[in-house]
Amino acid sequence: MGIDTIIDGATFDDLKDTMGADFIEEIIDTYNEETAALVEQLRQALTAQDPTTFGRCAHSIKSSSASLGALAFAEQARELELMGKAGDLSDAGPRVERLAADFALVRRSLEELRDES
Amino acid sequence: MSPDGRPGRLLVVDDNKVNRLLLGRGLEQQGHQVAFAENGRQALDMLHEGGFDLVLLDIEMPVMDGYEVMEKLTGDLDLRGIPVIVVSSLEELDGVVRCIEMGAEDYLTKPVSPVLLRARIDASLEKKRLRDQQRELLRRFATAEVAQDLAESGFSLGGRYVEATAMFSDIRGFTSLAASQSPADTIELLNTYYILMFEAITGQGGVVNQMVGDGLMAIFGAPLPLDNHGEQAVRAALEMIEMIELFNLDQATAGRPAIQIGIGIATGQVIAGYTGTQRRATYTCVGSTVNLAARLESHTKVAGQPILIDESTRQALSPSIEALGLGATQIKGIVDDVAVYAIPVGQRL
Repeated sequence: MGIDTIIDGATFDDLKDTMGADFIEEIIDTYNEETAALVEQLRQALTAQDPTTFGRCAHSIKSSSASLGALAFAEQARELELMGKAGDLSDAGPRVERLAADFALVRRSLEELRDES
Repeated sequence: MSPDGRPGRLLVVDDNKVNRLLLGRGLEQQGHQVAFAENGRQALDMLHEGGFDLVLLDIEMPVMDGYEVMEKLTGDLDLRGIPVIVVSSLEELDGVVRCIEMGAEDYLTKPVSPVLLRARIDASLEKKRLRDQQRELLRRFATAEVAQDLAESGFSLGGRYVEATAMFSDIRGFTSLAASQSPADTIELLNTYYILMFEAITGQGGVVNQMVGDGLMAIFGAPLPLDNHGEQAVRAALEMIEMIELFNLDQATAGRPAIQIGIGIATGQVIAGYTGTQRRATYTCVGSTVNLAARLESHTKVAGQPILIDESTRQALSPSIEALGLGATQIKGIVDDVAVYAIPVGQRL
């Protein structure tokens, strides 16, 4: 996947324009840190079979990812959120691992965008 | 960028740090001062410290979610006046509706558009400013003025006899009116009504000392002496009717129902004193004069006249004010017949 499909250019540029380029750096660093922690919490909630916490973590990943333009990634998080809300985590294992793998791509793409600006 | 409206002090509540930063940045760019809370519990603690004009509230949060915050806020007399804007994803619309039913003022969806953010924040802050003004009016006349008088005159909480004029006013048919419109419209109507009535009464030197639902009681001539309190009360009553007529024009333009009020006025000896505690005292008047004023107010419905006064009040009137004698009248709740006078409305004074 190229950057363009990972991060929606229009959303990201809009954000950069309204927030300012210097602030975007701070946002990207915070997002990467926070999302890494949330993915870890998602794994733990799965191990603990705690759908409430699972759903909430996925919800949180979804909303900040959408704000930065990581739309496909946000959609993955949304599907996990729905699993949590339905209280059924039986199929969640492989999806969490896919989310974690895709997060690595999102993180790298955002870092590239940060370094460009 | 400078804000269109005046800046406020806002609290952003969201468990996601990126969301907090984004929202905070947007608000700061619009000139507002922003503080942050990571969950509902922290938000409530900060709100209790005071000084916030508005809350932007996420729904899903650990420790305490947005619903619980709404519940706590609406149950708290000190905090319920702070407007809340719910910030959520589009899919959470059910949750937004639930928050609005619980008293939230408005909502925004994530990712938040800066244009909508500005519009909603400015509108909510403006509404809060109006509400604060109304509350200040109520506070000033219902308790603080009295508290100040207590402090300045060293007045004791004990009672005394005072020569004064008592006035009662209420909205006729209010219960059916309230049933025919939304609770928000009813409260807005009451607030406007109170503002208008306060203005007329205080403008003539009276003090509103009780408000219950759609009714209010005012005293002229106490706690501070007032020359010709009987006439002042009647002048206030005429002004009140005039204001209601103007208000009804607005209501008609907005396609809303008109309201009618009835006013009863009586003059004589009242037992006056402060009731309550040292910190929150209300100046109260009781006795047969006060009772008569209340009964005359009820009698306005029977007499078909908006303003009724007793004999002592009429005697206090200068000849320029017209009073229509209705003769000795039997009034519910009073043993002897009472000489009652109607004040024709629309008099040029």
